[in-house]
Amino acid sequence: MTNDAERFRACAQAYGAQARHWPAADRALHARFAATEEGAAILAAAARTDDLLDAWTPAPVERALADRIADAVLYERPRRRRMLAWSAAAFAASAAFGFVVGFMQTPPDPGPDLVTLFIVGPSATPGIGL
Amino acid sequence: MADGTDEDHELMAGIARGDAQAFRRLVDRHAGWGVGFVERMVGARADAEDLVQTAFLRVWQGAAKWERAARFRTWFYRVLYNLCMDHFRANAVPTEDLDEELPDGQPSVEERYASAQRADRVRAAISALPARQRAAIVLCYYQELSQADAAATLGVSEGALESLLSRGRESLRKSMQHELH
Repeated sequence: MTNDAERFRACAQAYGAQARHWPAADRALHARFAATEEGAAILAAAARTDDLLDAWTPAPVERALADRIADAVLYERPRRRRMLAWSAAAFAASAAFGFVVGFMQTPPDPGPDLVTLFIVGPSATPGIGL
Repeated sequence: MADGTDEDHELMAGIARGDAQAFRRLVDRHAGWGVGFVERMVGARADAEDLVQTAFLRVWQGAAKWERAARFRTWFYRVLYNLCMDHFRANAVPTEDLDEELPDGQPSVEERYASAQRADRVRAAISALPARQRAAIVLCYYQELSQADAAATLGVSEGALESLLSRGRESLRKSMQHELH
């Protein structure tokens, strides 16, 4: 088998029977070998696989699909972003409120500091009698 | 360019500025073939619509980083292909349900049923192919991409693409031997 014949067979096995699916550089081979008996048999075998592939035809895509996709991206996504923004704002407000409340609270009696305890002794400090 | 590349680039520039109308126009231009491609890959229309929507969300969010040198369609094929691969990884067992309508035609109910059954078997056989073989067939045969574009989408050489196609078609032929006539 010549190199061209091998290439013709390889293209038929990879790309099928129709020349339009073949690499542009190999379409001349298609034209040349298709008319031969062996070439026609190779293409007929490839065409049977093409027929299988053609048997599956998904339903057409309806015109409204593009609008649905665009609406989902443009409107649903910002809505999620707004929810995220509200959540962040609520968290910040809660943190600020907690800070203010904590700041305004009277600190508990810290008790005697260590210097007083050392100079005056434990008897001068109520609640720490020995 | 006559293939709409310039218009896509203009639309992407508009989207980068937050132009919703430009986004709508871009979706209008590319949603149809995008869903067709992804449905062939994942085997179910509902999944295909979800994945294409996710891809357009990435467009809307990432348009500012768009590199004008790239063809939008080529880049978008790559985005969709990667989303399909993610989908396969996330769903080790592919969905086998098929809820599709046949196009209106003249065949009888019995013929339509037989045709739908055969289509379902072909869809199942294609879905059973290794993902890259399936992608090669979908891109080259159904989507009719050039060898260069299909190879670029898959991230392989044109020689490797041809090998994927040959092996994919051979596997399909073997698995559907009884259907060949």
